[in-house]
Amino acid sequence: MDQETVRTICYLARLEIDQKKSNKIQKDLETIIELIGGLQTIDTLDIEPLYNPLEMTASTHEDIVNSDNEKEKFLKNAPASNEDYFLVPRVVE
Amino acid sequence: MSIQFKSIVELRGMLDEKLISASELTQETLQLAKKYQELNCFVTMNDEVATKKASGIIPSDEISSWLEGMPLAQKDLFCTKGLRTTCSSKILADFIPPYTATAVEKLEDAGAITIGKTNMDEFAMGSSNETSFFGNVHNPWKKGYVPGGSSGGSAAAVAAGIVPAATGTDTGGSIRQPAAHCGITGLKPTYGRVSRWGMIAFASSLDQAGPLARTAEDCAILLNSMSGYDSKDTTSLNSDVPDFLANINQPIDGVKIGIIKEFNLGELDSEVQARFEESIKTYEKLGAQFVEVSLPNISASVPTYYSIAPAECSSNLSRFDGVRFGHRAENTDDLNDLYIKSRSEGFGDEVKRRILIGTYALSAGYYDAYYKKAQQVRRLIKNDFDHVFQSVDILMTPTSPNTAFKFGSKGTQNPVELYLEDLFTISSNLAGLPAISIPHGQVNSLPAGLQLIGNFLKEDQLLNAAHLFQKNSDFHLAQPNLEDFS
Amino acid sequence: MNWETVIGLETHVQLSTKTKLFSRASTTFGANPNTNVNLVDCGLPGVLPSINKEAFYKAIRLGMAINAQINQTSIFDRKNYFYADLPKGYQITQMDLPIVLGGSIEIFLDGTTKKINITRAHLEEDAGKSIHDEYDGFSAIDLNRAGTPLLEIVSEPELSSAKEAVAYMKAMHQLVTYLDVSDGNMAQGSLRCDANVSIKKNGDKELGTRTEIKNINSFKFIEKAINFEIKRQIKVLESGEKVTQETRLYDSVKDETRPMRSKEFANDYRYFPEPDLLPVIISDEEMSKIKDEFPELPNEKEARYQKQFKLSAYDAQIIASSKSMADFFESAANQTKNYTLLSNWLIGEVSAYLNKELIEISESKLNVDNLAMLINRIDDQTISGKIGKTIFEEMCINGTSPDEIIESKGLKQISDDGAIEQIIDTVIKDNSAQVKAYLEGKDKLFGFFVGQVMKLTQGKANPTSVNTILKEKLKK
Repeated sequence: MDQETVRTICYLARLEIDQKKSNKIQKDLETIIELIGGLQTIDTLDIEPLYNPLEMTASTHEDIVNSDNEKEKFLKNAPASNEDYFLVPRVVE
Repeated sequence: MSIQFKSIVELRGMLDEKLISASELTQETLQLAKKYQELNCFVTMNDEVATKKASGIIPSDEISSWLEGMPLAQKDLFCTKGLRTTCSSKILADFIPPYTATAVEKLEDAGAITIGKTNMDEFAMGSSNETSFFGNVHNPWKKGYVPGGSSGGSAAAVAAGIVPAATGTDTGGSIRQPAAHCGITGLKPTYGRVSRWGMIAFASSLDQAGPLARTAEDCAILLNSMSGYDSKDTTSLNSDVPDFLANINQPIDGVKIGIIKEFNLGELDSEVQARFEESIKTYEKLGAQFVEVSLPNISASVPTYYSIAPAECSSNLSRFDGVRFGHRAENTDDLNDLYIKSRSEGFGDEVKRRILIGTYALSAGYYDAYYKKAQQVRRLIKNDFDHVFQSVDILMTPTSPNTAFKFGSKGTQNPVELYLEDLFTISSNLAGLPAISIPHGQVNSLPAGLQLIGNFLKEDQLLNAAHLFQKNSDFHLAQPNLEDFS
Repeated sequence: MNWETVIGLETHVQLSTKTKLFSRASTTFGANPNTNVNLVDCGLPGVLPSINKEAFYKAIRLGMAINAQINQTSIFDRKNYFYADLPKGYQITQMDLPIVLGGSIEIFLDGTTKKINITRAHLEEDAGKSIHDEYDGFSAIDLNRAGTPLLEIVSEPELSSAKEAVAYMKAMHQLVTYLDVSDGNMAQGSLRCDANVSIKKNGDKELGTRTEIKNINSFKFIEKAINFEIKRQIKVLESGEKVTQETRLYDSVKDETRPMRSKEFANDYRYFPEPDLLPVIISDEEMSKIKDEFPELPNEKEARYQKQFKLSAYDAQIIASSKSMADFFESAANQTKNYTLLSNWLIGEVSAYLNKELIEISESKLNVDNLAMLINRIDDQTISGKIGKTIFEEMCINGTSPDEIIESKGLKQISDDGAIEQIIDTVIKDNSAQVKAYLEGKDKLFGFFVGQVMKLTQGKANPTSVNTILKEKLKK
């Protein structure tokens, strides 16, 4: 894992790493990737992935509205809001 | 009469015989929490609401439910309406949820009183409780030693006798390993047994809530209330919930217990081995039969887990972006800068590490080699379990290869060192199986845990086996000396 | 040099369910900001999605209508990216296993039909809405739309002009409204598309580099945006440069497309199966039920209208082409017997009015009862067709019933021959010069006398009676 890959991954995850820690983190990631890489020796040809231990189907909800207007509660939890909206720094599309 | 170190069953007796009122019980519990503040078990106390709820409980001669008036602590990963919920992270340090997790709600509906929220590894990522934004939790058995993680605060609060029981969550051993390190009983139910609604997700396909308590009996009482189908969680099981307490006293002669060959227990510390051998003898006396079994792929559990769990976590933790709730960095240039700064300031190093690993494992070109591959190996591991459970009822392992260690002594140089501590617990999460840890003696004056893994939905068998063990031993009754903490 | 245009459309259809795809909050359009939002839509910590099966039924209905393969097992995936109106930091969508695979749709252009193949259609949740220019220095986020079910229908790159793209969207609009899969309201964003446009030399096998124009939500803008983009790309290529693969935005005010700034970083969406949702399976019984309850499609309606209501092929086709028009026709047909007159009115006056106002019949003040009553009054000769038009105008303005208007304005037709005779006598007496000219062979003057009679009766005289009696009197 090179510096460039670390930078790309950090950007995708919207994280930045302290310059002082960057070598250590890069080394940690390499060690973990090496651990995971150990899986390559296992033969998994034709094995279906198991994405969830429950091999059942999902239950579904009826198409009937069951929801309160909790706008005030939600906006109160927001770091920045006005009386109607969540606010973020202006985005130019 | 002191309430410290009492089990739910004992406290129920005291309440029913009116030796103590619910109000007094809650007050004494809050005082104990305060007295042992130095343990750092709690992130937030719920004094006011708890006091009010307890004072509303009027003693009556009618038979009350087990949990009526019972003080409990909740892991700070369950959302609690109006009560700060932090996941022990800076990013949620001021978050007050507008709703309550189903598991907690069910316990409270049964009469339990939430006295506070317990410290944990940040977002449940860790095995030592050292990643909390709110500081380390001490192991009640030895100051300066870890309680295990991630449900370390819950385990320590129960071990110190502050509360009779607490909730925890277990993604790779986060209930069982701290229960083992603190000398208490902890159960991870079958995946889907307890609703995940309101549990702040770490790894969705692995997370499961469960109880930490002093006895298997008390775990059964909590599980009775916590379990059940929840339409708000499509991965919750729509199966019958048996009365776990009613079936706890069945004889276990003829029950077949498997010892997993691949775990090479002969390589463990000799004292850890010795405790395990003694426990085998105890079960043999109770009529159980032991066989060695092989799960050829189980050694791959650790790499499998450390591919799947970070991948799911990297996505689950994307919602912490500083827009609708949680920490937002100041003085940011634009939206992207806001994301990057808020998240980088808000998350600790271990959480960042796991998000980055997960992001990498899911990224273009690596998905098949890491994520998909791990899910394929996961199926092989589950197939191994399905196979051995055709011939045995329960699998038995030590909960952890080691006992509690000193703060800062593991994983600081190499995080994988700490990951390997999860070797015995991780596979049951991958396969979704129930597993319990019970204390079975000490190694160098620190508790050691015994793990029983059961087949799908067989919590009743585990609780039964654990209860009989506790009826025939007194390890679960041992109490730490807390002088150093008060 | 001759250039060829290749266009593929990704159409986003908002499914007309009552609740969201993964929560039970309402999908009603136009609610106050952030009021149709619950814990799940807000993406709060600890929440989990639940599944609305109605969205599946609607998606399957569309799949059946375009003869596609339906995947009865549905798996959802997460598409990971950060955006202010995407609450969870990922969108739940279908990557590997779309609910609808293949199929085709016919488009009509300049009297010919062309078959456009569909690649796939998958279910996904919509994002919220960002308002960028109303608050100083801030973008405002409204999550009402977040979680609304969308069916994204991807066409093969088989469209070769902006006009074909419009025809495709019109066919899609007709289909989704007919199937009751969506309200198809483009102004409200219920039907919108992204257009992938590329240019290549005539006859070239390989496709040129494409650009994607995002989020176009009217037939007019689709045509303009694509035409602008075609011209722009040709200009780039003819100047010897290369087209950059990018996402562009259509600015309807400046009538141009420009690159989107917020998409400048190449993204890696890291799709993986949504671990919070187990697979959804649609049973064979459910599939048969959807088939059994399949709504009548335009061509079936057309045939039935000719048979049941004896409409001409032309009228039947026009009325059946719009779901709202057809619904209106069928309801009104329950209240009147003169189907031909009804269809004439719908195709004539009513359509003209709607086109002028640029609204759908459901948005107008017109209602079935009133129009049927109007047809009946013309049919039973209470009023003439001409008076009918006056009444219609008033109906459109304030929704008053024709009977009320007839009553209050005294518009009832004079069909009493005696009364008409008297008036005609007056007209003949007052216009002796014209009568003389007429009798001398100036036949054209007949209209003048009719006009005079109508003038005196304010148009209320029964025109047939006026004709007959006038002819009778002027012979003498």
